[in-house]
Amino acid sequence: MSLFYVVALLSTFFALMTIFTKNPVHSVLYLVITFFTFTVHYILLNAQFLAVVNFIVYMGAIMVLFLFVLMLLNMNEDVEPMKSTLVKVMAVIAGCCLFVTVCGALHLFDTQTPLIEKDPSIGLVKNLGQVLFKEFLLPFELSSLLLLTAMVGAVLLAKKEPKRI
Amino acid sequence: MAAIITLSLLAILVLYLGLYKAQKFLLPVSLIGLATAIGFLVRDWQLQAEPAYSGMILFDHFAIAFAILCIAVTAVLLLLIKGYFDDLSHHLAEYYSLLLFSLTGAILVTAYHNFALLFMGIEIMSVALYILVGIRKKDFASNEAALKYFIMGAFSTGFLLFGITLIYGASGSFDLAAIRDYVALGQLPMMFYGGVLLLIVGLLFKVGAAPFHFWTADVYEGAPILITAYMSTVVKIASFAALLRLFSYCFIPVSEFWTPLFLVISGLTLVIGNLSALVQVSFKRMLAYSSISHAGYLLFALVGSQDVAANSLFMYVTAYAVATVVAFGVLIIVKRTTGSDHFEAFNGLSKKNPLMSLLLTVAMLSLAGIPLTAGFIGKFMMFSSLMSGTHIALLVVAIINAAIGICYYLRVVIAMYFKPVENEQVFQVGINYYLVFIILGVVTLLLGIFPNSLLQLI
Repeated sequence: MSLFYVVALLSTFFALMTIFTKNPVHSVLYLVITFFTFTVHYILLNAQFLAVVNFIVYMGAIMVLFLFVLMLLNMNEDVEPMKSTLVKVMAVIAGCCLFVTVCGALHLFDTQTPLIEKDPSIGLVKNLGQVLFKEFLLPFELSSLLLLTAMVGAVLLAKKEPKRI
Repeated sequence: MAAIITLSLLAILVLYLGLYKAQKFLLPVSLIGLATAIGFLVRDWQLQAEPAYSGMILFDHFAIAFAILCIAVTAVLLLLIKGYFDDLSHHLAEYYSLLLFSLTGAILVTAYHNFALLFMGIEIMSVALYILVGIRKKDFASNEAALKYFIMGAFSTGFLLFGITLIYGASGSFDLAAIRDYVALGQLPMMFYGGVLLLIVGLLFKVGAAPFHFWTADVYEGAPILITAYMSTVVKIASFAALLRLFSYCFIPVSEFWTPLFLVISGLTLVIGNLSALVQVSFKRMLAYSSISHAGYLLFALVGSQDVAANSLFMYVTAYAVATVVAFGVLIIVKRTTGSDHFEAFNGLSKKNPLMSLLLTVAMLSLAGIPLTAGFIGKFMMFSSLMSGTHIALLVVAIINAAIGICYYLRVVIAMYFKPVENEQVFQVGINYYLVFIILGVVTLLLGIFPNSLLQLI
């Protein structure tokens, strides 16, 4: 339990740092660390597969892509466009809406009878694999078609057309 | 299932043909493969349909009929591909294979019996199309269309997934039969209704019904004509089959919840689609808006009497697909010769090419729903299924819109027959185009005169 509080504190801290740093590259790096703490949370919750996917896909692939784009764009304070008053007002309204929603959700939250998981080992890779290769075998196999289509398309779009004479 | 395996293998085989530069085998091999797939589906017609692969897929009469229609339309479009993409690129085999992959996805969408498979099918169908829409890399309109289609498609997939998740949260299953049993028990939580709403939004995005139609016109206009024809026929057929299967199989007990929604959406789609089509100057854009308005008529299958819904939907989409393919086929030739897709480009076509104008006229009359064409039978069945219910207001809207439809469909006929010839360009029409036009024209008339063969099919 103490481990949970340590990790939760760290996630909150790094999430706040993501917002408050001025430099966009630092901000993305803090976001990566935030995601890493989420991975630890997933492992604590016995959800191995989610932890691995979060680690590889979110941290590894998407955030690094973010970082590359940011570096290529070369953003800093000089080129940052001025935010108009309208945008600021809209942001305040949106933030207030989110706050109200969170308050409402907390109000409805039933803390007296905590949810007890029927099967704590449901998130383990072993059980997931059994479901994937028994019940969901057909969609699993068909996802190969999806990946192949995407691959063919990506190569087709990226390939240079030979010049006609 | 054999049909899906055949199509997937065919697509990979076609890729290999491209690798070994066997360009002239592409079309025959693809057509033979499609014919084999149809053969497998026809063989399954007599079998007792049961959900296969732990309830993932169900090839009942409904699914087989729509799947065969999808394959047949694709085969016809493949006949038109010859000579269309030749001057565009060297990667002809990849286009064939992407179209075939997309078709495989469409067949999964017609035959799903589990939300996991519905999602997979929609994604396979769409991913291939995102690429095909943007195939003209140097063309600005094509790029814009691909980007719009991709973003809107990804967005609508998000809605669809969220809807599926909420329904799973309420019912505890992805399986359609389990969900139907759950709905029949009653006592549904709010979460379930939220899921149904999000599912409706996601699927209506795919079929392009108002108010989720904004991407349709731009994407249809920017995409290559042949891909537009594919999108407005096969994708629409598959998506409507999915909608009807879902709502008539699972959600009938809660129909008082979603029927008013579909009534409003259907009326809105009709009015917006038809009024926008009326003011277009481009034939291609007019067809895009007309496909939106046809989505409105197709939604009648959901709100009308459920006994005849499957049959009337099948009749309507058959008529619509046949006529649409002819219209886009003629547009390809006109665009290639005159370089324009406006109505003026059709001026005096009847004097230069009487046969083609006659067949285009038949197609236009079928889209407008004039008697003796297939479109009339489709509209008649849709309207009569609505008449048995109590949705008279929608019926009145639909009849007014059908009248508006005649106005803009006949504009091109007027341009062809009563406008003077403006330029002396000679139309180079391949024999494959004539073949397709004549077959489809005969089908339109046959279905219009002897509709009984399709009326009791499913």
